[in-house]
Amino acid sequence: MSRLLALVGKEMADLRRNPALVFPAILAGSLSMLLPFVVAVLVPSLAGERLSDSSDIAIALERYREHGALGGLDPEAAAQAWIFQQFLVLLVLTPVTGAMAIAAASIVGEKQARTLEPLLATPLSTFELLAGKVLGAFLPALALTAATYVVYLAGVAALAESGAFRALLLPASLAVTFLLGPLLSLAALQLAVCVSSRVNDARSAQQIGVLVVLPLTAAFVLQITGMLRLTVPLLGAAALVLVGVNAGLMLLGIRLFDRESILTRWK
Amino acid sequence: MLSASQLTRRFGERVAVDDLTFELVPGEIFALLGPNGAGKTTTLRMLAGLIAPSSGSVGVGSEILTRDTAPRLRSRIGLLTEAPGLWERLTVRQNLLVYARLHGLPDPPRAVDEALEAFGLRDRGGDLAAELSKGLRQRAALARALLHRPDVVLLDEPTAGLDPASARDVRALVQQLRSERRTIVISSHNLDEVERMADRVAVMRARLVALDTPAALHARLFGARVRIAVRQPAAAFVEVLARAGFADVQVQDRTLSVAVDDEESATPVLVRRLVEAGADLLSVAREQARLEDVYLHLLDSEAAPDAARADRR
Repeated sequence: MSRLLALVGKEMADLRRNPALVFPAILAGSLSMLLPFVVAVLVPSLAGERLSDSSDIAIALERYREHGALGGLDPEAAAQAWIFQQFLVLLVLTPVTGAMAIAAASIVGEKQARTLEPLLATPLSTFELLAGKVLGAFLPALALTAATYVVYLAGVAALAESGAFRALLLPASLAVTFLLGPLLSLAALQLAVCVSSRVNDARSAQQIGVLVVLPLTAAFVLQITGMLRLTVPLLGAAALVLVGVNAGLMLLGIRLFDRESILTRWK
Repeated sequence: MLSASQLTRRFGERVAVDDLTFELVPGEIFALLGPNGAGKTTTLRMLAGLIAPSSGSVGVGSEILTRDTAPRLRSRIGLLTEAPGLWERLTVRQNLLVYARLHGLPDPPRAVDEALEAFGLRDRGGDLAAELSKGLRQRAALARALLHRPDVVLLDEPTAGLDPASARDVRALVQQLRSERRTIVISSHNLDEVERMADRVAVMRARLVALDTPAALHARLFGARVRIAVRQPAAAFVEVLARAGFADVQVQDRTLSVAVDDEESATPVLVRRLVEAGADLLSVAREQARLEDVYLHLLDSEAAPDAARADRR
């Protein structure tokens, strides 16, 4: 455990010296955060129309209310709340994409910097190495997720109709942000680290790792078109599946990590 | 302390290391010599437990390095890789602290302080590794490799690319390790350095071409010679020496190089005959061929199949 913490500490120290690594994630997060405000607040305000007057949104909202969410909100606040909650799924994606750069460079970056061989000459196990690398990318992603959520919540509370922010405090919203999002991040980062230990350049790892964001994007589309509703039981089941996927990915990573090939064949 | 028994490593069809056997004792400096691609780094990696041999084994103390024992035994081995491999965005102290923790040292900050002090890096602990000169980087890498006080120290090209002063510092550190009874294996192309430091030398080209002390290798290959400097032109004394039974005499200006069977008994005879012949002797010394001559001779012999077979015997 102490070796794992030592490696995570090194990753954090490295990141502190090179904060530019997380700038893309911060930028992407900020832009993603702006989008729902444009849709739910700015455009209706500029057009002089109310969201709740839109027949499409009214249909979606009706279905939404059937599940007992957002009771007591006036129609406009409920419409905004619905939109802000839909975009939450996209919002939890952005830290993943940012942290992907860190994870993708984790093993191949060490190899290219010629720092991997001395590291492998220590008693560090493969599990500790991979877990350290994954956590080194996951912890900043988690911090970014939490920061993004807090800023988003504060923005909705300040700029949207009164009470709309309550949508972000619903159990399903919290589960998406703090359970599903992190577990998916973890899976994506593990995949990137796995790939990073099998390819010769970080870009390949990043490209393959980013594929993991596809399920979330699909969930966003299905949800906003009304074909899927992310309820707490569904999110709980998805979380359980993801725990299994993460355990499987770690085992796969350990199996795929071939010290000898990395040392002797990578140039 | 460290042994290799019939150590062999293949990469596909290619045999990188072939049937290497040796045993090292504490306080010994052992040098691996060979051309590029001779298997020196592969040997060091097998000795460090980084890659497994295709056949044969490595022993550290009384234990054999296996997949299961490697993580534990790696804590008894310090490896200096060919490139220093420091994390450049971290300070020297941070680099060492991570390794102190990876090795599970009881008081990592203290161990790092001691290492910085011992390697003359106390004032540079707060510097980023990227800001260090090549010599200081190598010194920091050496401090990192020795942080956990390993019994066995493996050094891959420890002075490659260093200026003479930095190389001298590294050599002094290696000598200090010997005095601490550590077992040291050096892979190097610097024959002069190896000659000065190594107790024994293994010349390899995938397989072992020769293994002995530098002096014994020389004697085995070239025989013993005595070098005598005289005040007069040396050619005048060749005939005198031939009459005394010294048939192999080489002359260079005022110096004679005489092949002898037994240096101890032949040298007084040589001196007496020359003085009797009127030579004014300036110096008499055992002639030592440079390790480079020995090395090149061995590899040239190895290249010729017949000579290689003879060497093997």
